[in-house]
Amino acid sequence: MRPVGFLGLMLCCAAALGAPSGVVLNTLSEELQRNFIGLKQKADPPPYFLSYEVTEQEFHVAGATLGALNASADSRSRYLDVSVRVGSPKLDNYHRVRGERTQFTSGASISIDDNPAAIRQRLWLETDRVYRSAAERLIKIRTNQEVKVAERDSSDDFSTDPISTHTEAVHETKFDRQKWEERVRKLSIAFAQHPALLNSSVLVSAQGDTRYFVTSEGSRIQHGRGFARVIISAQAKSPDGMDLADAEYYDAVDSANLPKDDFLMASVARVAGHVEALLKAPVTEPIVGPAIFSGRASGVFFHEIFGHRIEGHRQKDDTEGQTFTKSLGERVLPDFLSVDFDATLRKVNGIDLNGWYEFDDEGIAAKPIRLVDKGILKAFLMSRSPIEGFVHSNGHGRRQPGLEVVSRQSNLIVNSTKTVPAVRLREMLIEEVKRQGKPYGLYFEDITGGFTTTGRAGLQAFKVIPVLVYRVYPDGRPDELIRGADIVGTPLASFSKILATSDKMEVFNGYCGAESGSVPVSAISPAILISEIEIQKKDKSQERPPLLPRPEQGPTE
Amino acid sequence: MKFLISICLLASAASAQDDVILRAMRDELARSLTLKLTNLESPYYIEYELDDVKQYTATASLGGLLGSSDGRFRVPRVHVRVGNFDFDNTNYVGSAFNFGTRYDVRLPLDNSYPVLRQSLWLATDQSYKSALEAISRKRAALRNISVAEKLPDFTKSTAVKLVEPLTTGSLNMDTWLARTRSLSGVFNDYPKLKTSSAEFSALDGTHYFVSSEGTEVRQHSDLGVVRLRAGAQAADGMLLRDAAVFQSLDHTRLPGAAEMERAARALAETLSKLVQAPVGDTYSGPVLFEGVAGAQIFAEVLGKNLSLSRKPVLEPGSPGSIPASELEGRQGARVLPDTFQIVDDPTQTEYQGHKLFGSFKVDDEGVQPQPLTIIEKGVLKNFILTRQPVRGFGASNGRARLPGSFGARTAAISNLFVQASETSSVPQLKQKLIDTCKQRNKPYGILVRKMDFPSSASLDEARRLLSSAGQGASHAVSLPVLIYRVYPDGREELVRGLRFRGLNVRSLKDIMAAGNDTNALDYLENGFPFALMGAGSEAAEVTVVAPSILVDDLELLPLEDELPKLPIVPPPASSR
Repeated sequence: MRPVGFLGLMLCCAAALGAPSGVVLNTLSEELQRNFIGLKQKADPPPYFLSYEVTEQEFHVAGATLGALNASADSRSRYLDVSVRVGSPKLDNYHRVRGERTQFTSGASISIDDNPAAIRQRLWLETDRVYRSAAERLIKIRTNQEVKVAERDSSDDFSTDPISTHTEAVHETKFDRQKWEERVRKLSIAFAQHPALLNSSVLVSAQGDTRYFVTSEGSRIQHGRGFARVIISAQAKSPDGMDLADAEYYDAVDSANLPKDDFLMASVARVAGHVEALLKAPVTEPIVGPAIFSGRASGVFFHEIFGHRIEGHRQKDDTEGQTFTKSLGERVLPDFLSVDFDATLRKVNGIDLNGWYEFDDEGIAAKPIRLVDKGILKAFLMSRSPIEGFVHSNGHGRRQPGLEVVSRQSNLIVNSTKTVPAVRLREMLIEEVKRQGKPYGLYFEDITGGFTTTGRAGLQAFKVIPVLVYRVYPDGRPDELIRGADIVGTPLASFSKILATSDKMEVFNGYCGAESGSVPVSAISPAILISEIEIQKKDKSQERPPLLPRPEQGPTE
Repeated sequence: MKFLISICLLASAASAQDDVILRAMRDELARSLTLKLTNLESPYYIEYELDDVKQYTATASLGGLLGSSDGRFRVPRVHVRVGNFDFDNTNYVGSAFNFGTRYDVRLPLDNSYPVLRQSLWLATDQSYKSALEAISRKRAALRNISVAEKLPDFTKSTAVKLVEPLTTGSLNMDTWLARTRSLSGVFNDYPKLKTSSAEFSALDGTHYFVSSEGTEVRQHSDLGVVRLRAGAQAADGMLLRDAAVFQSLDHTRLPGAAEMERAARALAETLSKLVQAPVGDTYSGPVLFEGVAGAQIFAEVLGKNLSLSRKPVLEPGSPGSIPASELEGRQGARVLPDTFQIVDDPTQTEYQGHKLFGSFKVDDEGVQPQPLTIIEKGVLKNFILTRQPVRGFGASNGRARLPGSFGARTAAISNLFVQASETSSVPQLKQKLIDTCKQRNKPYGILVRKMDFPSSASLDEARRLLSSAGQGASHAVSLPVLIYRVYPDGREELVRGLRFRGLNVRSLKDIMAAGNDTNALDYLENGFPFALMGAGSEAAEVTVVAPSILVDDLELLPLEDELPKLPIVPPPASSR
C-alpha cells in the first residue's frame, strides 16, 4: 500500500536492527484466519471483520533526587487487542449509543517469547470472549434501534479503507542503564544548592513500541518506534500554602539523542530558578486583558481547546457538546490561521515529535491532513468510524493497549500567515494593553496540559494549568512573574480573539489522555497574541510548608 | 533457635552503628518528636517502618513468558500519633486519610544519609499534619455522637531491640525464568486444559522498624512463591480450576524442579478427572474433611474469625458497618468439642520435619509474640490482638501482621496447631462416615480432600461467589475442589459443582471425630475473602497444622451459576 519511497526513510535505522523473526506476525495471521473461518462457519451472527493488534513495549527508567537514585526499573510486555465486528458495516456492534461506552478488548497479556503455542492459545480464548460480547451487544443495539427515534447522524459504523502491508524490523531500545544512572545522579545533585525546594528529580525513560497488526481484510503490519524522555522537575510550597512546581521535558526517539549533560544541567538550574522565583512572586489578581502565549503554551492551548473538539467520533455522539459539528465550511479561527495534523512529520526544529507514527491502530497509513484552512473548518480527525460527510479514515484511530480505538490527535500544527517577529508581537501586546486601558498584559511562557470537557452535560469549559505567567507592563518595567494564575473561559470565545502570531514555531511534546487512553502527541505552534484572556486565583492548599527545617540544617545534625 | 538469636544480637552491635538507613530513621524520628504546629499538640508516638526489598516476578503460560520484573523498592510507612494512648487520631473514619500536600516521599535506592532524612522529613510532616486534622475532625464528630463504649486508642508496649546482621541474598533470575517457562510448558501435554500458568515471585531484603518508644528492628525478609494454576471446561460448560502452590520463607529452599513438575502433572490430571466427573446433588449430612482439607477448614473458618475488628468513630449520620468476627463476645464459650486444643505459636520454626511458614520474631508493631492458647478443651480462651484495644482485651499479643483500617493494623494467625485428645485413624474416620450414613439411610456420604483455600479464583469469580453466598457474605467459605461420594461399600466417586451452605464457626461444634494424622497447610493470608491468591500487596505467612475431621450436619448445594458455552472454534492445538 505504502509508496516504496516511504520505506526508504526507514532503512537508515532498520539496517542497525535485527531481522524480524516474523513469528508473532505469522502466528497472528494464521490464528486470525482459523478463528475467522471457524466463526463464520459456526457462529450466529457471523463476524464480518476480525483484527488482532499486539503492542510490544519495552520500558526502562532511571531517576534520582539530590544525587541518590530513586527509580530504577525495566519491563517488557505484549498486550493483545482483539476487535470483532458482527452485523454489517451499516450497523454493527460498535454502533455508538447515547451515553454508552463500548469496550470489547481487554488488552490481555500474551507471551513475550516468540512461542507460537502460547500465543495461539491466548488468541483463541480472547477471540471467543470478544466475539461473544460483540454478538450480545449487536442484539441489544438492534432492539434499541427499533425503540428509539432515528439518530441525527445515520452514518455507517465502519468505513471501507485500503488495506496495508508493511513489515519493518522490531524497534530495538537502547538504554545504557549504568551510564544513565550515573548521569541522573550527577544532574539531580545540582538541585541540592536550592534548599527551598521540597522535591526535585531528574528522570529518564526509554520505551520501545512495536505494533503487530492483522485483519481479516488482509492488512498485515509490523512497525514501531521509540520514545525517550528526560523530565527535570522541582516543587516547593510558599509560606501561604500554595504548591509551586516547574518541570522541563525533553523527548527523542532514541535515548542516545536526548540532550547532553551541560544542556540538562542548565535545565536543572532553570527549573530550580523558576520555582525559587515563584516562591517570591506575588499572587495573581483577577484580570481580563490581552496576553501572549509562547509557542509551546499555544500548542497546549490548541490541543486542549481545539484538538479535542474536532475528534470525529464526538460529532456523532449526542452526549457530546459538538462545538464544531455544524461548523463545517464555516469560520472557526481567524482567517490567518490554518491547522494541520501530520502524523508523518518526524521532526520540527531538530526536535523529534511524539505524535508521529506510520500506521494508526486500525492499520491505516498516516497522512497529513488540513483541518482548518484559512480559518475555515474543512475536516475532522477520523478513525474508521464514519460520520456525516466523512466516510473514510484519515489515520487517526488510536488507543492505548486494552482500550477501544477512537479518533485522536497526532502532530497538531498551527500555521499562520499573520506573523511578526517576537519583538514586534511584544510591542503589539503593549499597544493592546494601552488601547484597552489595562494596567498590564500577560505572558504565558509555560502552561501544562490540563483537561477539557467536551461533554454536553458539563460546562463547555477548558482548563490548562499555567506554570509560568508574567505581567508585562506598558511602562517598560521588567516583566514580573506571578503565581497562582488560573485561566477561565469558554473555548469558542478564545479563538476569535487571536490577533497575530510570531514567526517562530515551537514544539510541545506530551501524552494525551482520553477515552482510548494515553497516546503520545505533539503540538507545534508559533506564539500567539490574544486580545482578551481571563485569569483568576487558583484554589490553593491551606497547608503550611513543612514545620521543621530541612534535616541538614536541623538542630540534631 | 535461641542460640542463633544471641549470635545475631552480638554481631549487630557493631553493624547497627554504621547502617545508614537505621541511623537516618533514628535521627529523623528523634527530631520529629519536636514537631509542633502553633498551639496544637506534638506527637506522642512516631514509628517508621521500612521495607528495603528486591522483588522478582515471572509469569508464563504454555512455555511462553507473559512477563517478568526485577525491581528494587524502599517503601517507608510513617505513623504519627497525636493525643495520648486514651484518645488519639486513630480509630476515626478519616484516620488513614492524607489531608495534606502529597510530597514525593520515595526513599532513595542509594544509601544516602541526607536524602533518606529528606524523604523521612517530608513523610513525617505529611503524616503529622494529617494526624492533627484527623484528631480535630474526630473531636468534632464526637460532639454530635456518643460512642457506646469508650476504649483507649492505643496500648503501651515495651521497647524491643532486635537488630540482625544484614544479609545480601542473591537470586539468579535467569534460572527462575527458565524454570517458570518450563513448568508452564508441562501443560502443553494436556490439550484439554483451557487455561494454565506458572507464576514465580520472590522478595529478598531487609525490614526496618524504629519507634519513639525505643524499639529498633532490623530483620532479613525473604519469601519465595511458585503457583501453578490450571482451568478446564466440562462438556456442560462448567469451568473448573485448581492450583498447586509452593512457598518458603527462604526462596533458596523452594522444592526442586522435578517436584514442581510432578505437581503440575498431578494438577493437570486432577482437572481432566474433574471435567469428566458428574455434577453433585444437594446433600445434607456428615462430611469428612480429609488430609489438608481439615487444615483448610480451620484456616478459613476459624483462623479468619480470631481477630477482632473495632468500629471507628464515624461522621454523624453516616452509616457504617464493619464486618465483625463470628466469635466476637464468645470468649469463655465452647466453640469446639472439648477434646480440642488450639495454640497459635510463631516461636516454633519446625514441626515434624516441616519448616513452618508462619514463624516470626517481632510483629509489624514491634511487639514480640509468645505462644498463645486459643482454644482449651473446646473453650475459646483468646483472640489474636494488635496494639489497637478491642472490647475485653487491653494489650497486644504480637499478632499485628497485616495493614488495617483507620490507623490500626490487622491481626493474623501465625502457626496454628490444632490438636485433639481423642483421635481415630483416617480409615476409621471414613468407616465412621459410612456407618453414620447407613444409620440415617443415606445412599452415600461426602468426603472432601481439598478446598479452594487460598482460592485460585479470579477477582470476578470471587465477587460472584461472595454475592451468591447472600446474607453474611463476609463469611462465605471457599468452594470445595475435590468432593467424593463415599458409598456404603467404601467406593469413592468424584463429583463437581457443589458449594457449602451455612458452613461457619458454629459448624465446628459439630465435629464428630478427629484423625490421628497431622497435615500442614502453608499459605499467605492477605485479608481478602478466601485469601484470594495474588490479591493485595501485603500478606502474612501462615501455617495451619490440623488433623482430618468428620463434621456432622453440613449442607452442600449445586452451584447455580450460569454456565458459559464452550468456545465456538476448536482449540488451536487440535487443528494443528
